[in-house]
Amino acid sequence: MTRAFLLAMGVLLPASVLAVLVALAFGSVTIPTADLLAVFNGEASRLHSTLVLELRLPRALAAFAAGGLLGIAGALMQVLLRNPLADPYVLGLSGGASVGALLAMLAGLSMFSVSMAAFFGALLSTVIVFGLAHGTGSWTPTRLLLTGVVVAAGWGAMISFILAVSPTAELPGMLYWLMGDVSHARNPYPAWGVLVLVVLLALPLGRTLNVLARGPMQAAALGVAVRPVEWSIYIAAALITATAVTQVGAVGFVGLIVPHMLRLVFGNDQRVILPASALAGGILLTLADTLARTIIAPEQLPVGVITAMLGVPVFLFLLYRSR
Amino acid sequence: MTFKVFRRHMALLVATFLCATPALAEPVTVTDDEDRELRLEQTAQRIVSLAPHITEVVFAVGAGDRLVGATQYSDYPPEAEDIPRVGGYSRIDLERVLELEPDLVIAWRSGNSGSQIERLRDLGIPVYVSEPRRFEGVASSMRRIAHLAGTEATGDAAAQAFLDRIEALRNEYAQRDPVRVFYQVWEQPLMTINDQHLIAEAIEVCGGSNVFGHLDRLVPRMDREAVIEADPEVIIGGGMGEDRPDWVRAWERWEDLTAVQRDNLFFIAPSLLQRHTPRIAEGTALMCEELERARLRRPGQ
Repeated sequence: MTRAFLLAMGVLLPASVLAVLVALAFGSVTIPTADLLAVFNGEASRLHSTLVLELRLPRALAAFAAGGLLGIAGALMQVLLRNPLADPYVLGLSGGASVGALLAMLAGLSMFSVSMAAFFGALLSTVIVFGLAHGTGSWTPTRLLLTGVVVAAGWGAMISFILAVSPTAELPGMLYWLMGDVSHARNPYPAWGVLVLVVLLALPLGRTLNVLARGPMQAAALGVAVRPVEWSIYIAAALITATAVTQVGAVGFVGLIVPHMLRLVFGNDQRVILPASALAGGILLTLADTLARTIIAPEQLPVGVITAMLGVPVFLFLLYRSR
Repeated sequence: MTFKVFRRHMALLVATFLCATPALAEPVTVTDDEDRELRLEQTAQRIVSLAPHITEVVFAVGAGDRLVGATQYSDYPPEAEDIPRVGGYSRIDLERVLELEPDLVIAWRSGNSGSQIERLRDLGIPVYVSEPRRFEGVASSMRRIAHLAGTEATGDAAAQAFLDRIEALRNEYAQRDPVRVFYQVWEQPLMTINDQHLIAEAIEVCGGSNVFGHLDRLVPRMDREAVIEADPEVIIGGGMGEDRPDWVRAWERWEDLTAVQRDNLFFIAPSLLQRHTPRIAEGTALMCEELERARLRRPGQ
């Protein structure tokens, strides 16, 4: 255990708990502190315990899990592609997921089917990008990145098409989904399962990823089986992102800025960055969703608006401060 | 006060109690527009409305004083402005709804988010889903909501008055010489309605025919060329506010259009025509007047 790891966990673990508590404490209905404490003693009124335990808690947990998944997927993608601009959506994942979700909404399916359609849309996009980038055999990060960007543009065109032909009544729901919205997340536990699993698997892989980040030649020279490792990262990142997307829709920026911010603070050691990205992503999305619920209550904002508005200035500031 | 008078008073009081108490506790059962049977143990006392037109209907059936929450833009009747808000109709603030502890939520299927309606049901709140289509549906919504609130007397009368008014307009105008109407919902994008839409029924009542009635989509997005080719005799603009939008006059650019040549560019406030409330009878009456005006402007009249 390095000092950076202990430092990161020492700061981020309490901060995570705090973020979830903040999400439970604030909402459009003001609950006095004494009544909040009563909720956990089981002595609160039915209204207060419903608000906190049935509305706020699942939503806060869903936001945290999805943020964590996006954070860790971003960190993995940046190592895999050795490109600082890579994010979980760079391979057209969010586009594929969005097209799946919008088509399901257009067909009038239930929210569960919309989530499933998003999941399979994301995986379909992964397969397309992977297949095309692989092409006749040469497989480089640049090629993968380019293919992803172009496929994403294609999905973008399909999204515009679907929006243009959809009935007016469906549009608000669709736009909220595209901007990222936690309000329809209901069962956060599968996402939590994936998150815990991924963090546990990523911890022992940290050293390998560190070597890989230096370049495939050096990694191969140091005895890393480059190709299988790259494939596993790729598939893992795709599954992680698809899971996150089913919870909260296409939330932007979390996967891009969280790993970068952490690198600027803790240095580029994947053994620290991967778990830290999970926690910091979770914190960011939980707090952003709390703002989205309260800022103009009783009106509700999509959480993606907040992540972008918070994330961009913080990221630019950190980048400006670093050399 | 003699004993006899006192006894009569007591008897009346007891009689009132006997009548009133079972009436209060009487469960009410109603089927909503999703064919779901809704049963309330007693008539609704705390209602939350999830759309502006629902707020209007609740007032129209005499249950406005039971409304404890409503969505943004619930602006009619004016008293509705004072009802606590629970967010916009496309995204309801569930916390606010729960805080109001309603015993009935009236939702709008094509406006509210299905998952939020589902959520409210799971939290044990009775939800009535409303989706009126035709004039008949507006009246039957009124009757059912009145039944849930226990204001049948006012509600049934209001629904009947609404239907009677429509029927009177139909008797007067429906058989007159057809007028070809283009109803413009919006300019950017250019949108109209097909014959499934409530506004198309108003056009039909007034003896008009909707030039794009045959299209598949309820609210089709149109190409300007198609409108020019259809050459309607009347163009009626809707829009958002209470004032005529500029784009109604903008049709004057196309001088060859019959509607432009005869100056048949009309505007009817969308609050009277686009909301599924009894006020649509007023909008229909205005529509009939405008179409009649167009008939009088025909050459040779």
